[in-house]
Amino acid sequence: MGTGMAIDGELLETFREETSERLDRIVQTLLAIETQGADPELISTLFRDAHSIKGNAGMLGFGEAQEIAHAMEDVIQTAAASGSLATGLINPLLAAGDAIRDVVAGATGLAPETVAALRAESAHATVPVPAASPDIAPHNGHQTEPNPTAETDDRTAAVVEASATDAPIDRAGSHGPNETSKPGGPRSIRVEAGKVDRLLDVVGETVLHRRRLDHLLKGGTSSGEGVEEELDHGELLLDELQRSVTRMRTLPLGSITGTYPRAVRDLAASAGKQVRLTMTGTDTQLDRLMLDGISETIVHLVRNSVSHGIETPARRIAAGKPEIGQLELRAEARGEWVAVSVRDDGNGVSPALLARGRERGSLSEVLAEAGMSTAAEVTELSGRGVGLDAVKRHVESLGGSVEVESEPGLGTSVTLLLPLMLSLVRLLLIESRGQMFGVPLANAIEVLQIGHTLSLAGRQSIDLRGESVPVRNVSEALGGAASEGGSHAVIVSASGRRVALTCDGILDEYEVVVKSLGPLLTGLPGYLGAAILADARIALILDPAVLVQGQASAASEAVADQPRRQRLKVLVVDDQLTVRELERSILETAGYSVVTAEDGRAALDVLHRDAEVALVLTDIEMPNVTGLELLAAIRAAPERPSLPVVVVTSRGDAEDRRLGAQAGADAYVVKSEFAQEGLLKIVRRLIDP
Amino acid sequence: MSGVCVHVRIADEHYAVPVEHVLEVAKLGDWTVVPGASRWLLGVINRDGQVLPLVDLAQLLGTRSTGRPACLLVVEDGERRAGLAVDEIINVRPVPARIEATESKLLSRAALVEGVLVGMLEIGLVLDEAADCDGDGHGH
Repeated sequence: MGTGMAIDGELLETFREETSERLDRIVQTLLAIETQGADPELISTLFRDAHSIKGNAGMLGFGEAQEIAHAMEDVIQTAAASGSLATGLINPLLAAGDAIRDVVAGATGLAPETVAALRAESAHATVPVPAASPDIAPHNGHQTEPNPTAETDDRTAAVVEASATDAPIDRAGSHGPNETSKPGGPRSIRVEAGKVDRLLDVVGETVLHRRRLDHLLKGGTSSGEGVEEELDHGELLLDELQRSVTRMRTLPLGSITGTYPRAVRDLAASAGKQVRLTMTGTDTQLDRLMLDGISETIVHLVRNSVSHGIETPARRIAAGKPEIGQLELRAEARGEWVAVSVRDDGNGVSPALLARGRERGSLSEVLAEAGMSTAAEVTELSGRGVGLDAVKRHVESLGGSVEVESEPGLGTSVTLLLPLMLSLVRLLLIESRGQMFGVPLANAIEVLQIGHTLSLAGRQSIDLRGESVPVRNVSEALGGAASEGGSHAVIVSASGRRVALTCDGILDEYEVVVKSLGPLLTGLPGYLGAAILADARIALILDPAVLVQGQASAASEAVADQPRRQRLKVLVVDDQLTVRELERSILETAGYSVVTAEDGRAALDVLHRDAEVALVLTDIEMPNVTGLELLAAIRAAPERPSLPVVVVTSRGDAEDRRLGAQAGADAYVVKSEFAQEGLLKIVRRLIDP
Repeated sequence: MSGVCVHVRIADEHYAVPVEHVLEVAKLGDWTVVPGASRWLLGVINRDGQVLPLVDLAQLLGTRSTGRPACLLVVEDGERRAGLAVDEIINVRPVPARIEATESKLLSRAALVEGVLVGMLEIGLVLDEAADCDGDGHGH
């Protein structure tokens, strides 16, 4: 990592996933070129993928990957100019793709050789090949005909044969280290090295423990107390071992949803629909077995929404809905359950079915009987044969349940409630009156020292960067009496509300298995469960949704109504998820609120809907409506012609800048020099002086 | 029912729990207070990695409370498990069949054992009552 920028793991994971997808496609495209000939469309796909990998790798500091992708881009660009791609280039390009995969997985030192091989081949590649190589398949009857539509089955042979060039390639199309995370793939898991290290640490400690026991017992001085103490310690170690192994079995939901955005895009395109997929809570950890179990089910629900739920643009417009359908995949911990829901804003189920659902008390049961389809016809895309009945059966077999809500004309939402069982929650541990409490880390926004407090109608609040946030201590937040709180506070956020929860100390982050409080305490609001800490003490896990509610919400609302500065909203426009998320994380960390759009057209939709956007940060090259077209549209619109627009260029080339300036861009950021401070400085200068 | 019970003392009163319901007796260590819970609950305890509610039997039965309970009785009723906090575990022995009158709804009956009145705890009802969140009124 050479950027000096703090890159969070999730972003890195997104980058890896996206890169892996693009590399897969590069392999496919190269193979297609080899068998079908170098169609300009294929070359431009190839170029886009190499270009995107270069850009992303550069931003995230994978210098070698960037270098290789850059060389690929050059070679492909030359090919594009001539309208063909020499067969000799296919292998070095495949090899380059493999090298990038290795670099992203952690290998180093691959760039020089790979780049040299590419450039060498490019230099003497003069055979323009618009067709499959004629000498590839000795057993093939068509071999002597230079026929561009030669049998595609021979492409493997072609690759092996052609590897006579010195490129180090013997595994074209191999998927490298990511293979294992594919749904339905081999039954193996990829485990973060850190988790294994942790396990080894504990094993090491256990070996020492055994020796100490040995020593105590054989040393003759065996005081029972020492042995007992050592045995207690052993028990803790066993717990820790168990936890480490359990942790290895958990993966974030994101590990199975990485390919969804593309799948949805492709599905939607082939159904003549426009669908925007948003995914939230993909960092929710689930047991691997559970993930394996539900992966297909979620895909099925997503497919259903795209092919049956969401209408065609024409129908949506006729129904007075925005042209682009919204599809949301959301995962969240809900007490002892993880709720994974797929919601669309499509046509919903028919009023007749709804009525039957009300009669029966369960819409999901009625739909399971009727088959999930909410549209009349069954299309090829809907995954025939697997209806909601199968989904329901499957989820129930995992100990979960299915809820369906629908409103005719407005959409359907299917929620899978899965048992938390082995799911892990990351907690921030706090201490209040000698007891430990846990706040789910996802809801703990920041920690601070309570200084000056404001008071209104007997309720305390603090001024948090211009916003009034109510202050409560743990017992008060759980419905007890207000009393003197500690001097530390955690800002807890849930359902769009915040509270400063005071405590005597803030201890640590902790990853725990959530335990039930037992049947006597179910129904007690305020708790998600309990966690057992390494020293066997219990930490109660607080429910953020209850913490933020408070007793006298009316009073705290009055405080919140005081004039305050709104968080400034920035619209981030880029067709690449990695870039959008990187920009979002930089801006959000700096306190801006961020909305995103994946191309110029979607950005215009957002601007049309949302008058609060104070600045637009946009890429130039995007499908549908480009950045420059977006800029022109903003400047031409009557509403807010002077809305600040910052253009992100990938090359920083003079032509881009000139065109941008002409269209009225307020500033530039060059992607390859993308640095947190530079971007924030520009944004601040424009809207937040 | 074997009629064999674990006999316990709470303040100066004696109670018995049928052995069928008793999973474990132990010294009572520290517990974790659960703010907002029914006042019949002292809190929760960790028994072998399982979180169990700890019922304050003295409060629930309305006996005069006498400081910190020292002993723990882990009981089970169907799926439900809980710890009962008591002052002393006396012994395990049968309770005579002869029945004395009792008004507490938490007791199935009472018996005279060597001049001491012993209440037979109805564990199902004890757990029902302990789960009652409003926690009003003393043990009726």
